[in-house]
Amino acid sequence: MNKKVQNYFVLIVMLLCWAVFLFAVAEMPLMGDPGNITNTHVVPRYLEKGVEEGGAPNIVTGIILNYRGYDTSGEVTVIFTALIGVLAVLKRENIKKDKSLVEISPVKTSVIVTTVVKFLTPLIILFAIYMILHGDVSPGGGFQGGAITGGSIIAFTLTFGLLATMRKFRLSIRIPLESSAVLAFIASGLVAMFFGLPFLTFLIPGFGFHTQELIRHALFIIIEIGIGVATGIIFASIFAAMGKVSKE
Amino acid sequence: MTFLSKLGTNFNYVISTLLFVIGLYTIITKPNLIKKFMGLNIMETSVFLAIVSIGAVRDGKAPIVESATKVQYVNPLPQALILTGIVVAVSTTALALSLMIKLYEQCGTLNADKLKEFE
Amino acid sequence: MVWHLDLVLLLFLVATAIGVYRTKDLLGAAIIFSAYSLTMAIVWQQLSAPDLALTEAAVGAGVTTVLFLITISRTTRREDD
Repeated sequence: MNKKVQNYFVLIVMLLCWAVFLFAVAEMPLMGDPGNITNTHVVPRYLEKGVEEGGAPNIVTGIILNYRGYDTSGEVTVIFTALIGVLAVLKRENIKKDKSLVEISPVKTSVIVTTVVKFLTPLIILFAIYMILHGDVSPGGGFQGGAITGGSIIAFTLTFGLLATMRKFRLSIRIPLESSAVLAFIASGLVAMFFGLPFLTFLIPGFGFHTQELIRHALFIIIEIGIGVATGIIFASIFAAMGKVSKE
Repeated sequence: MTFLSKLGTNFNYVISTLLFVIGLYTIITKPNLIKKFMGLNIMETSVFLAIVSIGAVRDGKAPIVESATKVQYVNPLPQALILTGIVVAVSTTALALSLMIKLYEQCGTLNADKLKEFE
Repeated sequence: MVWHLDLVLLLFLVATAIGVYRTKDLLGAAIIFSAYSLTMAIVWQQLSAPDLALTEAAVGAGVTTVLFLITISRTTRREDD
């Protein structure tokens, strides 16, 4: 069969598919109604008691770290596994032998780009640190701050080349930091087990009310810093492994 | 309520299903692997849009509790689930793209039709 | 509710998605995909999900696009081969 005819056939099937979807959409509960079944089941409890139980005024952070802690610990393992997969397919960069695409490119980087990136990178990283540490009371958190850190490191690498960046983030520093999210999560979860409580319990009874809150807050900050640092460094490492060009 | 006015209220779902269909069409008809993966990313974001729209509430505030007064917040649960979803999506993209780089080094092509000839 | 803005943004999402499909040059497609992700971030801000908007702006428009670009520069720019 001709390729073009085949594509038209696929298009007709897709449009039929969309028509079926439209009938399903018309049957769905109306969007924006506070009385929808999705908004009445467990969510009122999250919104009413989330600050005391979850431990963060930003309910999303509370759900991620506390109510759905197992989910998030699985996810940090997923991004760590993605890094392992990328490194298994493409080797890690070698500072002495490899060069990045920027360094072998015949086009020189413009002065404007260099100056702006040099000026902005510390500010972006400062913003990311604020976002990681302030994630429980305002929008933000470990993943957001980590992604911003990774993006700024990538921008720095794209401007100054792999050598200049990797001299600042050496392999001996990066390898322990890449696993910090998983380690911080497991370590904070194990704290409760010393007191005979289930894994990933943050509110440990037996102390005064304020000490309890303080311990929970400290554990949250440890996890957030771990996730943020690990996400940023993992994105930078993936980029470095993909962006290198071997000399031979 | 008529069919069309319901679709008008649920407009986010309509767009989300349309994006899903466009992504699926890209995956099926385009031979290039990078293009296929862009289609997969579009499909992923369309599903995210549908799930977050389920939790949207008219005139709802972002779920950050600032005072004890009763305010209508949006549903925080889909947002927390999708936040993990976005990071998993970029992880799978990175892994697939690194496999494509290796494939191009070995075979010299990223066209799925031409890759059939290699065995 | 600023539903006009939502309507324009959602229609722009569809336009960029079709643009990704129709662009033969992979570099152009990657840049249009970046615009798609950034629009998605604004849609999430409109849906009162600031956490998602931050993540999508950093991850979708930043990291994913750069990964696509680096793959295109290490492999091929044309769609046919």
